[in-house]
Amino acid sequence: MYFQKKRVIAMLLAGGQGSRLHVLTRKTAKPAVPFGGKYRIIDFPLSNCVNSGIDTVGILTQYQPLELNEYIGNGQPWGLNKTHSCAQVLPPYERNDKKSGWFEGTANAIYKNIDFVDRFDPDYVVILSGDHIYKMDYNAMVEYHVAHNAACTIAVRNVPLAEASRFGILNTNPDNSIYEFEEKPAKPKSTNASMGIYCFSWSVLREALIADEEDPNSSKDFGKNIIPNLLNAGHKMMAYNFDGYWKDVGTIDSLWEANMETLGKNPEFDLRGGKRETIYARNSALPSSYIDEDAKIVNSFVAEGCEVYGKVLHSVISVGCTIGEDAVVEDSVVMPGVVIESGAIVRHAILGEDSKVCKNAVVGGAFAEDEKKKISVTSKGAVVEANTVLLPGDML
Amino acid sequence: MNVTGIIFTNDASLGELTNKRTSGSIPFGGRYRQIDWALSNMSCAGIRHIGIISRHSYQSLMHHVGDGEEWGLELEEGGLEFLTPYATNTTDKYRGKLESVYNAMDFLEFSDEADDDDLVVMTDSAVLANVDLKAVIDAHIASGKQVTVVTKAGIANGEKKLDLALKLDENGEVADMVVDYVASDDYVASMDIFVLNKKKLIKWVKDMVARDKYHMDRDLVMGGWRRGQIGVNVYPFEGVALFNESVEEYFANSLSLIKKDVRHDIFNGRHPVYTKVRDRVPTYYGEDCDIENSLIADGCMLDGEVEDSVLFRQVTIEKDAEVENCIIMNDSVVGEGAELKYVILDKNVTVTPGAKLIGTKKNPIIVKRGETV
Repeated sequence: MYFQKKRVIAMLLAGGQGSRLHVLTRKTAKPAVPFGGKYRIIDFPLSNCVNSGIDTVGILTQYQPLELNEYIGNGQPWGLNKTHSCAQVLPPYERNDKKSGWFEGTANAIYKNIDFVDRFDPDYVVILSGDHIYKMDYNAMVEYHVAHNAACTIAVRNVPLAEASRFGILNTNPDNSIYEFEEKPAKPKSTNASMGIYCFSWSVLREALIADEEDPNSSKDFGKNIIPNLLNAGHKMMAYNFDGYWKDVGTIDSLWEANMETLGKNPEFDLRGGKRETIYARNSALPSSYIDEDAKIVNSFVAEGCEVYGKVLHSVISVGCTIGEDAVVEDSVVMPGVVIESGAIVRHAILGEDSKVCKNAVVGGAFAEDEKKKISVTSKGAVVEANTVLLPGDML
Repeated sequence: MNVTGIIFTNDASLGELTNKRTSGSIPFGGRYRQIDWALSNMSCAGIRHIGIISRHSYQSLMHHVGDGEEWGLELEEGGLEFLTPYATNTTDKYRGKLESVYNAMDFLEFSDEADDDDLVVMTDSAVLANVDLKAVIDAHIASGKQVTVVTKAGIANGEKKLDLALKLDENGEVADMVVDYVASDDYVASMDIFVLNKKKLIKWVKDMVARDKYHMDRDLVMGGWRRGQIGVNVYPFEGVALFNESVEEYFANSLSLIKKDVRHDIFNGRHPVYTKVRDRVPTYYGEDCDIENSLIADGCMLDGEVEDSVLFRQVTIEKDAEVENCIIMNDSVVGEGAELKYVILDKNVTVTPGAKLIGTKKNPIIVKRGETV
């Protein structure tokens, strides 16, 4: 079979469990979690690839892949189903050598797919993860990598010093070359946090992955093993500064916040955007939304296929939802297919896909100031029975 | 048994709205084009070989339909074909449906010779309905007649001129048939959906065109029935059927989508209606917007007041603008403080701040594509 040589391909790590999203990822891989009314988290890195001119993407799946695989399909929504492009789902599989079986770490996942990468004979491989919301031109990062003749380039952003110990921190020379990498340091020396987006020269990465497999003590992880090993071996590694919006949506709080940050006239994260900034998604065949004469919608997104009879304030309402008469939805993220019946109140909540809030039920509250931070969550298909209460911070 | 679909797309003239497009490509219902109903009906009935017949102005139609991917029709074998006048040797535009089918004979006779039980389903794109064509085909076969016509009661009213209307006796058999006639309310209207035997259709078309007969309703259906040569079966359609054959009807039918029963039946009565995908963000409702009783597509930015209206994709309604009983198509902008009543804004129209446009229910103001008012 003929495979066109590619200068750059991307490998998207989408196998993580996302356990900090609790009930939202009970049956779904984190990259398949809905975001922003009509998207899923994975739409952002995938669309970034397409907008950056990267047309070959390997997607490594492992945890609860059913929905994710179905969603990606043949890559058609992102235009990755053409003769010389692909979005290839790469699940773990059995074979008769060391590359057999489950992925045992981020580096191991790529190691086990060396054969896939080799088919395209790429000069550079961009490693991405499926849990961040951002728009980024990966091609600009690759050009930076090439211009600096680096073996590895890591995208970094400035974080507040107080938060720096939650991240992998890169200590750099004045020319932005990296001299030290510290994974979640107790006393960070700088505020350059790794975004988990790497550009490698494939020959270097390939060698490093094979070498790392020989080390019985390695945790087979990019941050813990591959990056420090390459640094110690004296390879040139560069930090690539990115100052656009970027958010790790790995927790309930951050997922809620990121959704809220899409709202407003001049939102912190603008889902709209110019020509090469469109976020593509698999579209559902749903009609336009109906807004009733008694409905009131303020500072909110409402996606297609909805019927709104009640009140929606500062919220994100996803495709195919119904908001009943006299229902109130405030400061909430309502995922696809949710039904909120008449008289129900939903405040400060994330309602999972196809969940239902029955008549006069109350979800969340945020009535007192100290409750503000507690987000109530319903899982996929959950039902909050009529006249019952799901307390702030509770999950169903 | 194989079923072939034929969709006619130049069947109604709606003034400015069909100035540069076919009736099949008139935008309808916020995110659709009229042909989406015919295509979705056929696709959901498992019809996989469809010809689209266009006489003129078909650029927007071709752009919309593309290779038929959204309707599951981008196939290795069969799939969609555009049958335009210049696609064959003939250099004349068609005078009638039979002539256009005659000119598309290569399409009908493609691959092997038709089997005796092969069927053709023909539909227009000016009558919109969510029809289960599988049920129509089954009823056609069960009837043993040569032609089945899908009809709708309650359309004939003694005022509207109908392409084809039928009067039925107490057994549901055809008692009378009229063409291009203002029929009274005891007639049922043809929805321009026909099921016919393919081999016979090919023969009839050849025979009739040879005798300079080219009118489908008059010469084939009514003529054949009157001569006693063609048995006509009637399939009464119970759902919502929207006849968009004039600007007034188009306007009223568009706004009727706001009613729940109409909306639910036409969009999802029996199956989904597919359309070309556009990657737009969800619609943003601003701090000061007031939206009532309206159908809103994706990608809009709403800051003004909208009542009893249909908004297409990516429409902007600025602060203090008032929109009432309007149809506003893709990418149009209604400027701050503007006032619109009974207006159809075609695609990409800009209404400058403070402008005032007031039409009437019978004569809505149409603003042409791309204009600034």
